[in-house]
Amino acid sequence: MQVPELLQRVGQVLLPGDEFRLDQEDNISLTEVSRPSRAVCGPGLRRSGARLLVCKSGVLRHKAPNVFWIDSQQKRYVPAKGETVIGIVTAKAGDIFKVDVGGSEQASLSYLAFEGATKRNRPNVQVGDLVFAQFVVANKDMEPELVCMDSSGRANGMGVFGSGGLLFTVSLGLVRRLLSPLSELRSDLEQLFPCELVVGMNGRLWVRSCSVQQTLIVANLLQSSDSMTAPQRKELFRKVQQGAL
Amino acid sequence: MKDTPLSNCERDFILKAIEEKKRLDGRQTYDFRRIKITFGTDYGCCFVDLGKTRVMAQVSCELVAPKESRPNEGIMFFNIELSPMASPAFEQGRQSELSVKLNRQLERCLRNSKCIDTESLCVVAGEKVWQIRVDVSMLNNDGNLMDAASVAAITALCHFRRPDVGIQGDEVTVYSPEERDPIPLSIYHMPISISFSFFQQGTFLLVDPCEREERVMDGLLMIAMNKHREICSIQSSGGIMLLKEQVMRCSKIAAVKVSEITELISKALLNDRTARKAGGRCGFAESMPQERITALKTDETLMETSDVTERANDIVEKAGAPPQTVPSPLVPAPGVGQVSQGQQNTWGLQEEDEDDDDDDDEQNGKETKMETEPQEEEKGAGDVVEISDSEEEEVVILTSETSGQAKNADSSSHQKRAAASKRRPKK
Amino acid sequence: MEVCESSKVSLREFGCEQNLLSRPDGSASFVQGDTSVMAGVYGPAEVKVSKEIYDRATLEVLIQPKVGLPTVRERSQEQCIRETCEASLLLSLHPRSSLTLVLQVLHDDGSLLSCFLNAACMALMDAGLPMSCLFCGVTCAINTDGQIITDPTAAQEKESRALMTFAIDCAKRRVLMSSTKGSFSVHELQQCIAVSQKASEKIFQFYRDSVRRRYSKNL
Repeated sequence: MQVPELLQRVGQVLLPGDEFRLDQEDNISLTEVSRPSRAVCGPGLRRSGARLLVCKSGVLRHKAPNVFWIDSQQKRYVPAKGETVIGIVTAKAGDIFKVDVGGSEQASLSYLAFEGATKRNRPNVQVGDLVFAQFVVANKDMEPELVCMDSSGRANGMGVFGSGGLLFTVSLGLVRRLLSPLSELRSDLEQLFPCELVVGMNGRLWVRSCSVQQTLIVANLLQSSDSMTAPQRKELFRKVQQGAL
Repeated sequence: MKDTPLSNCERDFILKAIEEKKRLDGRQTYDFRRIKITFGTDYGCCFVDLGKTRVMAQVSCELVAPKESRPNEGIMFFNIELSPMASPAFEQGRQSELSVKLNRQLERCLRNSKCIDTESLCVVAGEKVWQIRVDVSMLNNDGNLMDAASVAAITALCHFRRPDVGIQGDEVTVYSPEERDPIPLSIYHMPISISFSFFQQGTFLLVDPCEREERVMDGLLMIAMNKHREICSIQSSGGIMLLKEQVMRCSKIAAVKVSEITELISKALLNDRTARKAGGRCGFAESMPQERITALKTDETLMETSDVTERANDIVEKAGAPPQTVPSPLVPAPGVGQVSQGQQNTWGLQEEDEDDDDDDDEQNGKETKMETEPQEEEKGAGDVVEISDSEEEEVVILTSETSGQAKNADSSSHQKRAAASKRRPKK
Repeated sequence: MEVCESSKVSLREFGCEQNLLSRPDGSASFVQGDTSVMAGVYGPAEVKVSKEIYDRATLEVLIQPKVGLPTVRERSQEQCIRETCEASLLLSLHPRSSLTLVLQVLHDDGSLLSCFLNAACMALMDAGLPMSCLFCGVTCAINTDGQIITDPTAAQEKESRALMTFAIDCAKRRVLMSSTKGSFSVHELQQCIAVSQKASEKIFQFYRDSVRRRYSKNL
């Protein structure tokens, strides 16, 4: 398939309705061993027939060898399998908890999906508590389902949490920036105060620092760095550091 | 739609922060958020931004008959609309508890305080008076809708100009703005509502609560006051016991805030007046922040349209002329006229067509069926036997021949066949 | 067949601001001359059981007039906009959820329906909802001399003989929706469509520029 056309546009802003043609090349070269190169479409890209359709506005990103996606700024979360999110327990219904994750439907969380939980040893979860959990079922046609343990039955950082910290929401784009392996934003933050940070892919962040004042500062900094360039952010962080210390 | 639930952790943190005299957005206890007042293009339209809370007020007027009890007073009407744009919890066209509360408070703040000279709105006593209508729409709810609404409403009233009227005998003429300059309302004073929220049974007090603080608070006190320090209305809700000193303190704070806000309103009105006098353009378009990256504006653009006529001609020509012939009216029975093609039932005709299609596709199936099982055909004359599988989308219809079918086709077979033929194009 | 002089073909200055409200998932204001509209989108969110559709999202469009409650006029405009949005959104990707689009009139100085459409498109884009194509609205008025005026003001609308609003998609410049008032010939209709398609290019370019500007810090 023809990826070069797509490669050229990497880093550019695309709008819904932009199209790329994915032509299957007819003439197979005899000299080279041609491996069929397939473009893998991430969020914001859709294949329809021989065309690749952009369906969200944003910047086209590429990851070697041929993964493409659209990086957009949006607020509303759509559950995806394997993502970790911060949820708010809204109800206890028999054997499951109903958890609000900011999506279109409340997710269910079984009381057995906690580390060490058994039928007799129920986890202590109250309505209104925060849970850090992972999606095991998330597709458009089914009720999303969360678990608070990994495949080997360990909590691995998941479960009920949240005392003494502040929960707030930011755009999904900022969350992804925070979680990217070489996040500048995160390293900037690390230099500022010692703080605990829980990042949910659903745009919810939870921070706890040594004092209320510092927690508030971190929360406000993160919220405002949503719409800043790196130099602007660095400048702001520097100011805060000088003022606060 | 439901609002996002508030977690225990947020509640605990907010209360803990308030105990330490800290607020979520870094404000001090008695600080208001930034207030921005802008005006719309026409008179009586005002936008107020209070932090992230946004409201719009529009004043309009019409001539109506006065109330019988007050024949020489104009009528004031207030309507607060909790638009679903402001919050997912708001629903269109439903009177919620909140909207009733806000409406009532605004009425008490602006109508019952007699801040507007309603007698000057009388045109003909007992017959015609002006009804002034104030519509306040919430655009974004980030807490303290009441204060924003009261500022927007009073500013819009100050900004509003009603058309001039002339009375000659019994005739009332309303002059357009071009004929005679419209007249502002006569406003005695400007009441502004200030909200105080109480936490921990009144131990802690905050001015101008934001949305999350509103959800945590125990009680709310709204004081409407003008700059002469006259209290126009006072309302406490939430069922907390307030001490006399607390109310006194609140009224003192309110007095300071009201004088600040009144100052801001008069400055905004003055700015707008000078801008309008200078002939500059004003309105929402002008208030759009140019420096933000989320905003963009273009100038008036001209378009090259030289080939438009040709293209239109082209399309029209290609489309061909519509049929000019009008079928002559037909009289099927005395007293009934009928034009157009639907004069005869064409069902039979279509039936034939479809059958032809079927034949083309599944001739083999049919023919073999016909030969092997002639008796079955006799029994269920028009019955359709479908061996279809929804997965494969291949429809095999086993029916009698066209000729036989046309005679003793009953309605059920028609329907089934129609259904089957509808499904075919998907293949 | 009369031949129209299309001399007054211009669009008033227009502007747009995205993501200006904190509560909605997507918001935009669109300004054409003095006509201004604010749009807010919520979704994909929880849907009421009575409105649930099992294989696609339920789209609700609400128009808030400036004064008073929505009337029949607003209802019909809501329907025009809803059908346009339904054609461009990929609703089947979010079954059993609700999308709510709220449009608030800020000032009406003609071409209101086209301004609604443009604001709606920008807000939907801001909310990051999956769309197969963008759309824009263009209003054309034919005045008594047979001249076509695009993006008319309220005064021009009043004097016009016919008024047409088209929603045009960005891929093939096809007409997604048309709403007309008054009388006109087939030829005039085609001419107006052609003019609108021309105008749509300017608007789509503007969409692109404003989105590009918005993402300029993320490149």
